[in-house]
Amino acid sequence: MIGSGIKRGTAELAILSVLEEGPLHGYEMARRIEEQTKGALRFTLAALYPMLYRMEQRGWIRGAWEISHSGRRKRCYRLTPSGKKKLLPLRKEWEELFGALKRLTKVAHA
Amino acid sequence: MPDWQELVRQRLSNLALEPAEKDEVQVELATHLEESYEVFRKEGLPEKEALHRSFAQVGDWRDLQRRILIAKRSGHPMQKRVHQLWIPGFLTMALSIVFLVTLQKLGFNPRMVSWRDSDIFFYAPWLVSLPFLGALGAYISSRAGGSRGIVLLASIFPALALTLTFLLMFPIDMIIEPIIGRQVDFSIVAASLLRDGIDWILVPGAALLVGGLLVHLLFGRRVSSQDTAIG
Repeated sequence: MIGSGIKRGTAELAILSVLEEGPLHGYEMARRIEEQTKGALRFTLAALYPMLYRMEQRGWIRGAWEISHSGRRKRCYRLTPSGKKKLLPLRKEWEELFGALKRLTKVAHA
Repeated sequence: MPDWQELVRQRLSNLALEPAEKDEVQVELATHLEESYEVFRKEGLPEKEALHRSFAQVGDWRDLQRRILIAKRSGHPMQKRVHQLWIPGFLTMALSIVFLVTLQKLGFNPRMVSWRDSDIFFYAPWLVSLPFLGALGAYISSRAGGSRGIVLLASIFPALALTLTFLLMFPIDMIIEPIIGRQVDFSIVAASLLRDGIDWILVPGAALLVGGLLVHLLFGRRVSSQDTAIG
């Protein structure tokens, strides 16, 4: 079973990575993550917003209200400089972790 | 098409945030649900099924409400502690003191119980009020997203504050009494502490805790900030 710390770390990395491409509102963010991970990561509303608010409190992302083409008010999130700074080491940590796991499974199957 | 704003407002009505911030959260979540619904409809789902699937994203609205609250306050640990412990704790303490003083002013006399050559005093109406006050403290703490431990601490806060006072009084007494030239009889001090500990800490603390536990059982699904984030 994957621990909550790992899951949260994955979620943070997913959100920061997708926002690195440009500002997005919540629904679009969830859809983009699902598409780009081919459904492996799926955010429900209940999972997404507490995470976004937490990351906003930490100063990694910033939300601002915008009016969409359809005239709807939407809150768009973008990466802050602090979020950009956080993304690099986070990405490295996960690469190292997956690299280590890959090596381990190869050894185990050898 | 359902009124998403209203539906979300009803479900997140107890979200303990500032009105403007609460409104923003409600609008944002309603917009998300509305978009989900529209996409499901475009995919050809019937209205009822689209509605069901959109709402299925939130299994437990109360749980979501608490998680949002915790997340919104996560950036300010001090503020979080103030809302979860200090405010409910001090409120419980203030109300219990005010109620006790009022009872005394109204002429209610304490009930005296003899125990091991000493008399222990109990204010029955005051003790009866304490589970309610403990419950109030626990409820406020729980609303602010307090964990089980913090909720229970908030409920017994007056007893804890008195315990601390007693613990400080004992060594201070031991230092001051010899200085002012009085003989200290440790057995008398210990007996007095034990007696006061029972009628001012132990019994009221238990009464407060009853209220706190009740609130915890009724409202307290502990939601940790460590909760799983990926649905």
